Amino acid sequence: MVDNHNPSDSAIEVRDLRKEFGVLKAVDGISFDLKRGEFLSVFGPNGAGKTTLIKILAGLTRPSFGTARVAGYEVEEGKSEMRREIGVISHSTALYADLTPMENLIFLGKMYGLERPKESALMVLEDVGLAPRRNDRVRTFSRGMLQRLSIARAILHDPSILFLDEPFTGLDIHASNVLKEQLQALHNKKRTILMTTHDISCGLEMCDKVALQVMGRFAFFEDVEEVSKENFETMYFDAVRNNQFTMGIRNS
Amino acid sequence: MNLFLSQISAIVWKDFVTELKTRELLSAMFIFALLVILIFIFSVNLSVVKANEVGPGILWVAFLFSGTIGLNRSFMLEKENGCLMGLILVPADRTAIYFGKLISNFVFLSIMELFILPLFMIFFNIDLLAHLLPLLLVIFLGTLGFCALGTLLSSLASNLKTREIMLPILLYPLLVPIVIGVVRMTGQVLAGEPLSEMMNWIGLTASFDIIYIGVSIMTIDHILEE
Repeated sequence: MVDNHNPSDSAIEVRDLRKEFGVLKAVDGISFDLKRGEFLSVFGPNGAGKTTLIKILAGLTRPSFGTARVAGYEVEEGKSEMRREIGVISHSTALYADLTPMENLIFLGKMYGLERPKESALMVLEDVGLAPRRNDRVRTFSRGMLQRLSIARAILHDPSILFLDEPFTGLDIHASNVLKEQLQALHNKKRTILMTTHDISCGLEMCDKVALQVMGRFAFFEDVEEVSKENFETMYFDAVRNNQFTMGIRNS
Repeated sequence: MNLFLSQISAIVWKDFVTELKTRELLSAMFIFALLVILIFIFSVNLSVVKANEVGPGILWVAFLFSGTIGLNRSFMLEKENGCLMGLILVPADRTAIYFGKLISNFVFLSIMELFILPLFMIFFNIDLLAHLLPLLLVIFLGTLGFCALGTLLSSLASNLKTREIMLPILLYPLLVPIVIGVVRMTGQVLAGEPLSEMMNWIGLTASFDIIYIGVSIMTIDHILEE
């Protein structure tokens, strides 16, 4: 078996990444590097290709062109090894509604081959503050609790890289603050995080690097220190307006 | 290898815990199979036709149609809340996912069949106990082939909007060799013929079981990819 592992400072290396669905270019020539322990917030209007970018990096879908290395592994070739290094929080919770949080996490722990799945499950449930509800069915959980449980699921195997796809969607202010604290704690533990979000203040507050994705491309990619919130907001809303205009043209 | 086996057993464990809590799958399959047998028992005049001749067909219609309900439910459970995506993100060989689901489907269907057999025996007044071991072998071969192909196709159909319709359309034509084999063998077993008389059918059915499992191993990686 060919060892395609290439350890480097970069947790994520993306080169000219493209994904086409027929004539639609969901990801259109994106290139960037993210060092280990860095937090990248990717903003962009709906349909900009943010979710597709995360899906490619997580190995859930193949790119049409270009390369991506995650944790030193080629995304396409080193899938199994790479998947040990990543945790993903997507729009859907990926939790079995009729099982309890403990059962969900023990199942995943066994799938990851953890030595003590029960202990690991309990530990991450304590981390996200859901240990008291560990034996209740997931079906009875609120959106905020589900999102915290999603974090527990994503960090159960102690991944070095986290992909978060709009994790604040549908959360009230309290749940949003709890989630923010947990993400901050993960960032402090030097985990590399790539998060897509529409929440500008929250996204800018937590990240080290910021990107604006429009129509499949990174229209902007900078260190967060170089960005003023007001300017970025103006740029973001211009992008949203232009995107809506372009989508209107496409539909007409 | 150990991780591979523990991943398979984890999937089976998860499906069993879910079923123990919901009791949706077994009850739905059992009631459907029972209804099929009841409808046939009232439509067939057993004083005119021999139970040994019509029984095998009715029994397998009940098994296969109710089994389809189980197969449909099997991957639907994984599609809810994006669980299949979560499973694909795990560093597991996709064949482990396939075999886990195959074993779950096989065990659930076998349990349902074990409940249906005594009722079939009573309704059709056939002494199954006298031919129990050969009959169980035939049922094993038929159920294995059905679940091997059904698990593969239900994973394929789970990505379609019309999965409930597509699964039987894809599944039943491909099952024809197995269905012919097991119905013929069941008839011969109930007529009291020894297994040595039906080696051709056993060979045919077992071959298709192996072919379907082999094809599944070769294709499941591509099917589970988005």
